[in-house]
Amino acid sequence: MEMIKAKNIYKSFGELEVLSGVSFNVNQGEAISIIGPSGSGKSTLLRSLIGLEEINSGELYIEGISIKESGKKAYEKMGMVFQGFNLFPHKTVLENLIEAPVVVKGEKKAEAQAKAEELLKKVGLSDKVDSYPAQLSGGQKQRVAIARALAMEPDIMLFDEPTSSLDPELVGEVLTVIRDLAEENITMLIVTHEMGFARDVSDRVFFMDHGKIISDTVPEKIFVNPESERIKSFLTKILSQTNSSH
Amino acid sequence: MFDYIINVSGYILEGSIVTFQLYFVTAIFSVIVGIAGALGKISKIPLLESILSLYTWVFRGTPLLLQLFFAYYGLPVLGITLQPFPAAALTFIINYGAYFTEIFRGGIESIDEGQYEAAKVLGMNYRQTMSRIIIPQTVKRVLPATSNEAINLVKDSALVAVIGLGDLLRAAKVAVTRDFSIIPFIIAAVFYLVISSVIVTAFRKLEEKYSVYE
Ligand SMILES: Nc1ncnc2c1ncn2[C@@H]1O[C@H](COP(=O)(O)OP(=O)(O)OP(=O)(O)O)[C@@H](O)[C@H]1O
Ligand SMILES: [Mg+2]
Repeated sequence: MEMIKAKNIYKSFGELEVLSGVSFNVNQGEAISIIGPSGSGKSTLLRSLIGLEEINSGELYIEGISIKESGKKAYEKMGMVFQGFNLFPHKTVLENLIEAPVVVKGEKKAEAQAKAEELLKKVGLSDKVDSYPAQLSGGQKQRVAIARALAMEPDIMLFDEPTSSLDPELVGEVLTVIRDLAEENITMLIVTHEMGFARDVSDRVFFMDHGKIISDTVPEKIFVNPESERIKSFLTKILSQTNSSH
Repeated sequence: MFDYIINVSGYILEGSIVTFQLYFVTAIFSVIVGIAGALGKISKIPLLESILSLYTWVFRGTPLLLQLFFAYYGLPVLGITLQPFPAAALTFIINYGAYFTEIFRGGIESIDEGQYEAAKVLGMNYRQTMSRIIIPQTVKRVLPATSNEAINLVKDSALVAVIGLGDLLRAAKVAVTRDFSIIPFIIAAVFYLVISSVIVTAFRKLEEKYSVYE
């Protein structure tokens, strides 16, 4: 089943065109990594998918439903995880998880709570139910943020550089959680600079440059035998950076 | 001497009823005005923003005493006559509402954009986002400034003595003139200090309660 279908998406901020005709499809259960240089429009693309940015033109279908016609409804199928976590600081971990299920979906508190505890177990944070975000490490915060998104039972998860603001030693625990999700066949789009992770986990890799997806292919291909000089030089640069920083 | 102090204290306490009434009416309604004003100011509706900016500019930029005179002595010239208490209450609510508008606006604007985005992608609407995510965090941030205003209001309330409202200060003044004694002023000062201290303590408790999450 086609979970996302984007056709010729354009998006500008004032004079600056950030998405210049982006088209792609994502099937049920696929894990897609989105890579590319800074400013190429990766975040804007994810944000447009979930309605944080309004596209200027093009067509977007989520599970066959057009964003234009359904408005908000299509966005409900998606969850998003941000680079900066964006947990609610005045709520405990548990409260962060049950907030939307109770308030938005009208779930019973006890049910939402049981589900939340299940999710916390899954991300390895059962002992943190009553902690406030400020009491958690970055990696723990991001795992809570993932659990919070999952609590809404989305069909599609969007990750915008989920490990970029983490200390290197905390990256692994978050990637492990995302990896587990990939194995559960939840549909995912992940903007990442973790090339090893992208290679291992994704079914396909999108390479973005100047507001376009210039390569949409399997990881074996892009990492082993990139089709353009542009991609090759980007990968060389980023891999040398990662190696020197570790 | 002791009897005199008890007597005068009783007299001043009667006067302080007006002070308390004014205090609570102002506190409740100016906070409501402040919340509405702050939400209006961040609404991105240009006309509303302009009107509210004019409002806060005028009422924060002119003396409260002038505003009080305007309401009590000025408005009758225009054919609107208010009794002292309504004139005082109205002036205080509008004046403090202007300060709270700016304090709350600053508080709301200090909340990270990411909080709105997180709420939005979880499907929360504007009302849910504001009431459950943004405002509760704002409350914590504006507590210190609000505490200051709450103390100022205790002291400013004494201004109503000048339009003849029988408040705490006026009662003390009457007693001083009547008895030719300085003691009533000292008692009044003690009253004000007690009220201020109670308010400071209450706000400190609130701030402690809100500090659990940081
Ligand atoms: N709200 C905005 N207003 C104006 N310009 C914006 C806005 N958001 C993004 N941009 C610009 O759009 C371009 C693409 O930004 P985007 O964040 O999508 O890039 P990115 O590929 O995610 O980059 P990075 O790897 O640095 O996160 C950048 O030039 C950025 O400055
Ligand atoms: Mg980005």
